[in-house]
Amino acid sequence: MKLDIESIKSEAKEMLEKSGEPGSLAEWYSKYLGKKGILRTLTSDVSDLAVEEKKELGRKVNELKSYLEEAYAGILNSVTSIKKDKPLENFYKTLPGKKPEIGHLHLITQAIREINEVFSKLGFIRVRYPEVEWDYYSFEALNMPKTHPARDEWETFFIDLPEDPKLGKVVITPHTSNGQIREMLKGDLPIRMLNISRCGRRQSDINHVPTFYQFEGLVIDKNISITHLKGVLEYLIYNFFGKDTKFRLRPYDFRFTEPSFEVDVTCGICGGKGCRFCKEGWVELGGAGMVHPNVLRAGGIDPDVYSGFAFGWGVERVLMMRTGLKIDDIRYLFENNLKFLEQF
Amino acid sequence: MNVLIPFSWLKDYVKTNAGIRDVAKALSEHSFSVEKIIDDDVLEIEVTPNRGDGLSVLGIARELAAVLPVKGFSAEWLKKAFTVKKYSGKDKLKVTISDNSLVPRFSAAVIDKVKVKESPVLIKERLSKVGIRAINNVVDVTNYYMIELGQPMHAFDYDKIAGHEMIVRESKKGEEIVTLDAVKRILPEGVIVIEDGDGRLIDLCGIMGAQNSEVDENTTKVLLFVQVYDPVRIRKSSMSLGHRTEAALRFEKGVDFESVIPSLQTAVGMLTELSGGEVSSELIDLTGTVYTKKHIKIDYEKINKIAGTVIKKDFVNATLSSLGFVIKGNDVYVPSWRYDDIEIIEDLAEEVIRIYGYQKLPNELPGGTLPHHAKMGTFALEDKAKDFLKHMGFFECYNYSAVPGSMAGHGALKVKNPLNADLEFLRVSLTPKLLDVLNKNKGYSETVKLFELSSVYLSKKGDLPDQPYMLGMTVRGVDFLVFKGIVEALFEELRVAGDFGFEITEHPGGVLSCELPFDKLVDAAGGGRVYSPLTGFNSIKEDITIIVGDATSFSEIISAVSNTDVRVNKVGFKDMYEDALTLSIEFLDRAKQITSEETKVIRDGIIKNLDSKYGIKLKA
Repeated sequence: MKLDIESIKSEAKEMLEKSGEPGSLAEWYSKYLGKKGILRTLTSDVSDLAVEEKKELGRKVNELKSYLEEAYAGILNSVTSIKKDKPLENFYKTLPGKKPEIGHLHLITQAIREINEVFSKLGFIRVRYPEVEWDYYSFEALNMPKTHPARDEWETFFIDLPEDPKLGKVVITPHTSNGQIREMLKGDLPIRMLNISRCGRRQSDINHVPTFYQFEGLVIDKNISITHLKGVLEYLIYNFFGKDTKFRLRPYDFRFTEPSFEVDVTCGICGGKGCRFCKEGWVELGGAGMVHPNVLRAGGIDPDVYSGFAFGWGVERVLMMRTGLKIDDIRYLFENNLKFLEQF
Repeated sequence: MNVLIPFSWLKDYVKTNAGIRDVAKALSEHSFSVEKIIDDDVLEIEVTPNRGDGLSVLGIARELAAVLPVKGFSAEWLKKAFTVKKYSGKDKLKVTISDNSLVPRFSAAVIDKVKVKESPVLIKERLSKVGIRAINNVVDVTNYYMIELGQPMHAFDYDKIAGHEMIVRESKKGEEIVTLDAVKRILPEGVIVIEDGDGRLIDLCGIMGAQNSEVDENTTKVLLFVQVYDPVRIRKSSMSLGHRTEAALRFEKGVDFESVIPSLQTAVGMLTELSGGEVSSELIDLTGTVYTKKHIKIDYEKINKIAGTVIKKDFVNATLSSLGFVIKGNDVYVPSWRYDDIEIIEDLAEEVIRIYGYQKLPNELPGGTLPHHAKMGTFALEDKAKDFLKHMGFFECYNYSAVPGSMAGHGALKVKNPLNADLEFLRVSLTPKLLDVLNKNKGYSETVKLFELSSVYLSKKGDLPDQPYMLGMTVRGVDFLVFKGIVEALFEELRVAGDFGFEITEHPGGVLSCELPFDKLVDAAGGGRVYSPLTGFNSIKEDITIIVGDATSFSEIISAVSNTDVRVNKVGFKDMYEDALTLSIEFLDRAKQITSEETKVIRDGIIKNLDSKYGIKLKA
């Protein structure tokens, strides 16, 4: 006996899908699952067969049976629920969807991702270096000898650990610039580094937090000049702040760069006309400069052959400037009030 | 440090057709940032710490003279060169300097027949514009020239100096002095002071004078005093005394040693004119330190390399000259007012390029070869884990690196100078703070899920602490197995290979936590995928319910079931009710179609196996 189970299935399926009305559904039922339906007929046919054939066909018939029963149950369910809701069907569809519960990534994570995305396209490689660090990498090797007053500007946390005769005290690094020396000492040139890391300074008020994030860019190669720093800044600012934002370099002073700059962008609030939130239309973004030859030397790089530029800015600050979010107290970022976090 | 410099005062030095806004813009772009313009005349200027020379009208005027022409404005220098005058007179001062490094240069002159009175309007107005209160003609002259020339000065009542004798020395711990502001100050060791013939302290050098030698309305003889002090000692003293005066802030940045005598004589000239007095001593000028002229070899090519563009030799030379550098052949001599700041060719390059204009340099992306990429695993996996947890309903938290003692945990490192008691120790675990956050957000919702991905700091002998990245997760109102399932699903998402053990800790109030060493997770993650060929045969799925005891673990049962027969394709947990565990088992024969007769045989084997190994029986 030949039996084309598959064609019965597809025929049944087709008919079922067309049965829009309960009447035609009943017709379908009696044709396939009813007392004189196809399934019954097949079952009784099978019982007449020889043992070997019976086994094989029986299995197929069983499979068909469960297929038909499930299909019928399915359509019956959907038909009845539609029928039940029909009077308010249109309204029902205007109700809000039942959303799965989705959490929130922290603003800092979101900012880090955006920053990383821009720089990765320029071939910068993201790294991370120790947050608890030797004085040597955070200060001394950055052209800041022990008694230098420039150190005072970093309100540094010291860790209660013995001093190393060569590397000095243990500190919480107050900036990501410790990564400059560590990156150079890897001995792999050229360098395009993006170091995004946690830092700490001994300060806490509405504009400062004792723990914060910085991102540090470092490019070292032969013939790197200020024009390259400007090119990278232009790319960053165009992509991060938009094409209407202009920038400028101002002379400044940092121990680990020479020349040193402060980078300003046009104020997002007044568009560069000048207002009470900015300085004559400009807002400070952060510091930058050409890597000081002493720093290159400390990193084992010959300043007569190689040159480079570096910049290190606050992740939180850049984020606030880009989004125009007026968070009245930056410490909220670390308080983890869920009513704050849920807004982002 | 910010200084106030009136544009009207600058015009004593520079004649220009530029307006105040042009001046502000030129300074900001080429020299120092102008933060504010007050009353259309006073510039508030941020002078960087390396540029002590910029803390004066003269210093800013010098910058303007170099910068304005580049901006297309005129700038004519009005002041004439200074010639040192000879003084004579019978008044003497006996000076003993205990250590030349305290006062590299000591200068003074006595003026007799002084009438102390009010200063003229111009002086009072100018002082008031820069925020200094006018007192009398003597004191005002010292303040006036501190602002104009950048040289802090002091005036003593000559007759109040016992024995007309000064001993400059370092203080001993606990010595006392009452300064001009009537505050009694108890000194630490190492502060530069002056003792007079009676052993009284009469000056807190470089910071503030003493009340016992101050000029008052009865003063007739004034000792005018201009010095160079050791900047490091001044800074240390003024900081430890908590007394940051205008004078101290200038001294600690270094003052121009060559302008000491011109400044003193300019002030003497003004004072004699205003007070009707006359010089009654010789010019006292003691130099303990010899300054050698500093010079740097010029390298035009290097300047161009740093700039990334060609700046003509003529422009380089003209710029350096306009800033006071003297070029002789290949050597550039540094002006005395930039002595501490200019050391190497890169410093000269900065001078030239900043005046040339950073704005004029082209913007170019660096070319050359790309750096070698290290393995990118960690950050990509961090993002993946964070996204996964976010979609599972977690809030991401960021907490401070330091915690209070109550949350520190065993072996936590101590911060030597914590900001407050809440930030005394470096955390060794993320969990305590996450539990705290959970607790602080009690009213937010019944179900709260939190995570943080940050480093902890684990003490290590003789080295920096280990700083592994941890993934801390803390939940409230989540079923144990649901939480466990999230962790397991995270492992699947990260394709963590093998059996990555983890522990869930139960806390009061239905709170659960789990902290994973993320670095290790990264090592185990990204496991290779294995392909099992698809088979055309169907599997048969069956449930069995067995009665289990507390002595056996689920994984033991699973392996007993799986190991019974190769045709046991999958075993999964379905349900648990009291001690009845329901497993769903999938049977598959990859060589042929499996039958229900065959599965029955395998199932019997499974039950036998479970019984003999663990005494586990089928539910009746």
